[in-house]
Amino acid sequence: MTELLQNLIDGLGRGSIYALLALGVAVIFGVMHLLNFAHGELITVSGYVAFWTISEGWSWYLVTPIIIGTAIVTSLVIERVAFSRVRGSSDFTLLLTSFGVHFVVSAIFLLYVSASVKTFSRPGWVTNTYSIGSLHIEVFDTVVIGVTLVTLLGTSWLIQRTMFGLALRAAAADFDTARLMGVRSDTVIRGAFALSGLLAGIAGVFWLMRAGNTVPSAGIAPMLKGVLAALIGGLGSLRGAVLGGFVLGLAEVLLRSRLPDSVASLTEGFVFLLIALLFIFRPQGLIRVAHAERV
Amino acid sequence: MADQRSLNATHAGMFPNLRRDVAFPVVGVGLLFGAFIAVGLLYQSLFSGAAERLVTIALIDAIIVLGIQIYVGNTGVLSFGHIGFGAIAGYTFAIFAIAPAEKAKRIPDAPFGLTDVDVGSLAAVAVAVAVTVVVAVFVGIGLARSGAESGAVAATVITLALLFVTHEVARHWPEMTGGERAGLSFRIGGALDTRMPIYLALAGALVLARLFAQSRRGRLAKAGREDDLAARAMGVNPMVQQMIALLISVAVVSIGASLRVYETGSILPENFFFNYTLLTLAMLIVGGRNSVTGALFGVAVMTVGRELARRLGQDGFEVFGLGLDSAPLDWIFRENLQTVFFGVAMLGFMIWRPKGLLSDWEFDDWLYRRFTRTQSAPVVPETTMDSDQDARLEVDDVSVAFGGFQALSQAGFEVRSGQVVGIIGPNGAGKTTMLNVVTGLVPATSGRVRLNGADLIGTPSHEIARAGLVRTFQNLRLFGSLTVRENVQVTRLVAIAEHDDRSTPEADVLVAAAGLWDHRDRRASELDYGNSRRLELARAAAARPLFLLLDEPTSGMSDTESLAMVEQVQTMAALVGAGVVVIDHDLDFIIGICDRIYCLDRGTVIAVGTPEEIQADSAVQAAYLGSSAS
Repeated sequence: MTELLQNLIDGLGRGSIYALLALGVAVIFGVMHLLNFAHGELITVSGYVAFWTISEGWSWYLVTPIIIGTAIVTSLVIERVAFSRVRGSSDFTLLLTSFGVHFVVSAIFLLYVSASVKTFSRPGWVTNTYSIGSLHIEVFDTVVIGVTLVTLLGTSWLIQRTMFGLALRAAAADFDTARLMGVRSDTVIRGAFALSGLLAGIAGVFWLMRAGNTVPSAGIAPMLKGVLAALIGGLGSLRGAVLGGFVLGLAEVLLRSRLPDSVASLTEGFVFLLIALLFIFRPQGLIRVAHAERV
Repeated sequence: MADQRSLNATHAGMFPNLRRDVAFPVVGVGLLFGAFIAVGLLYQSLFSGAAERLVTIALIDAIIVLGIQIYVGNTGVLSFGHIGFGAIAGYTFAIFAIAPAEKAKRIPDAPFGLTDVDVGSLAAVAVAVAVTVVVAVFVGIGLARSGAESGAVAATVITLALLFVTHEVARHWPEMTGGERAGLSFRIGGALDTRMPIYLALAGALVLARLFAQSRRGRLAKAGREDDLAARAMGVNPMVQQMIALLISVAVVSIGASLRVYETGSILPENFFFNYTLLTLAMLIVGGRNSVTGALFGVAVMTVGRELARRLGQDGFEVFGLGLDSAPLDWIFRENLQTVFFGVAMLGFMIWRPKGLLSDWEFDDWLYRRFTRTQSAPVVPETTMDSDQDARLEVDDVSVAFGGFQALSQAGFEVRSGQVVGIIGPNGAGKTTMLNVVTGLVPATSGRVRLNGADLIGTPSHEIARAGLVRTFQNLRLFGSLTVRENVQVTRLVAIAEHDDRSTPEADVLVAAAGLWDHRDRRASELDYGNSRRLELARAAAARPLFLLLDEPTSGMSDTESLAMVEQVQTMAALVGAGVVVIDHDLDFIIGICDRIYCLDRGTVIAVGTPEEIQADSAVQAAYLGSSAS
């Protein structure tokens, strides 16, 4: 029982970051029908900014807003340079465009920084734990879960209660009709990219605090988690993306602690296997999104 | 020409037309193969040293890219997973082909006693292909379940996940794979030392890729690629075609991956991961993913580009023997420039030329047009066929609700062979919904749809089409990048498989009957509105349905065109012996063509009768002209 509770807490901590990433993926999928394989690059860029600033001796308190700002700006720049040019293209083109952006961004760091790992110091409290009964809880996980909850509530308010949120939801339901009804496509798409960047920035802060290093290909892992979690939840559903993130985090933690040691290093492989099974039995993901094709 | 046509009619096997679909492609890819090798050998003799290996690598890349093309090109599903399949094949090949003495150094404790397995490299390739194809069957089922169709996002993520699973397993299963750093390797000098197997595999891959595209399966897959829903409505099940394409494609990739490992002499997880996926996909899309010629061309272009980028990155303009001071460009000519080159190439092509350099162009298409005399239009036979058959379609009490909106309530109609039945009604009356229910695209809340007594409710769309109900689409869903003739041929291929006992009119006859003979080799997407409508009609008729269901065949047409359409529908229905159900707004057209008319209003049938009776009906007039008319 204690072990399960421990797993639950660890899983929530891990899942929080995935949920933020997945929500960013889902927001963009909603307005552009674009599955953003370049989402992890926001963290790559932030990672190098963290490396440069922290090696200069800046404190994490100062670096945190810089990282979030970097992610937002990067997201908007990528939209401007690449995605705005393929709006309305076929899904095939959209997929490969985001894949291409992923490669260009990581290749730029390969070209101008280096292929080697750049490490930076992590805040001291990241590894601290405290105990409640027999539970060992990381301070880090507590902060992550807390911040994620606040962020999700804020995002929910933004989407449910503001004009921008209304436009976003309308665009996600039917982009063409939303445009005819006076929703400005530029505004809503850029807003979605900014929101996605913000979410990735917050997730990025935690991701980088835990990793303490970056490489040109650092974006692959967060991208994959975000994309998979969004898909597990049911593409197009924002709530599903958050749910998918937590499910993915819990699945990883549970598998890692339950698998025998000899195969524990293959945890990721087993997670993928579970996801594959989920798709076979529930191809639409956890939350089904109704969408009709006109004939 | 005449004997060739009769050959077509009787030949219902893998290829619609042997001369067009086998002879020309084989000759075409033979010439391409020769040209590709010749350029390689020429390059090799001009630049010594590393040039030889560069060419060898390009040859192997070509095999793998062609393998990917078979799946991605014909189905339109973007796969990141083919290099994952390559990893499975590569490791399987290495484990079976490397001598036990070498394996004892790296993987002494391999499971299943694989350390001591000692088979030749040829047998190892066979094992690699077999293992990978088995994995592909499971992945294929997952893809089908996820609703794979052209550009499907979920399917692409599944393939991406496969790439990562294989990478993770390769890294973390050192007993089998030698782990992340050591990997597996052949004894020094034990690797592939002749290019002959590579040449053979490349030639085989080219022929296979090109013949698959022309085969019955390949054409059906391409129909699904162009429009999944329309393909289903014509009786094609894209899932089956995708699975076949996947297995063939994976087999080719497996052979290429085995050769890649054999030629390198070793394998590491990194060899078959993201970078190689980018490289092969960039080659495919730069050349043109829908074309075999394009895929090969892409390999050549990108190999040259990569080499140039690498050399520029190293030496700047000195590559060209120019003593230029290249300092201003030093910021771009750096190590690793080739990686940026691939990323930028992929991005640039997606933004400015998403279909690649050659798009759909095939070398043998060009050859065929060059060396074939212009055909004269075939004669459309006067005789009607199978008019004695007596099929009946009965639709009873169908209700459909979309949320709170009752689109149809207790509506129905009946039609028999030889009849033309019309369904009219104002916008939103439920006409198209009625056709969607009959063809299985929209589930009915209640009611029955019976064809010759058999209930069709709940039957998948493609089976309804095969049972004999084939429709056209009001919003035009042609197979855009296929030619007019190919659009008709695709559905005819389904018809031939279904009714080989009865002869189905030639595709060319149907094209001529629709008045599209002069446009036969144009892409469907280039047709104007009227011609698109006529092609919709011909394509549906080619399926040899018992009933043709026409959804607003004259919408957007001029009065003269509408009038001509009456005759075309009649000719077409007579040619294939089908009854007709037609939906339209155009009262003149409906009255000119129908034996019986049903008038729908707000989801219910408000009047049934002959054209004269309907014209005189006051309820119909009220529905059409508003209450002021009554």
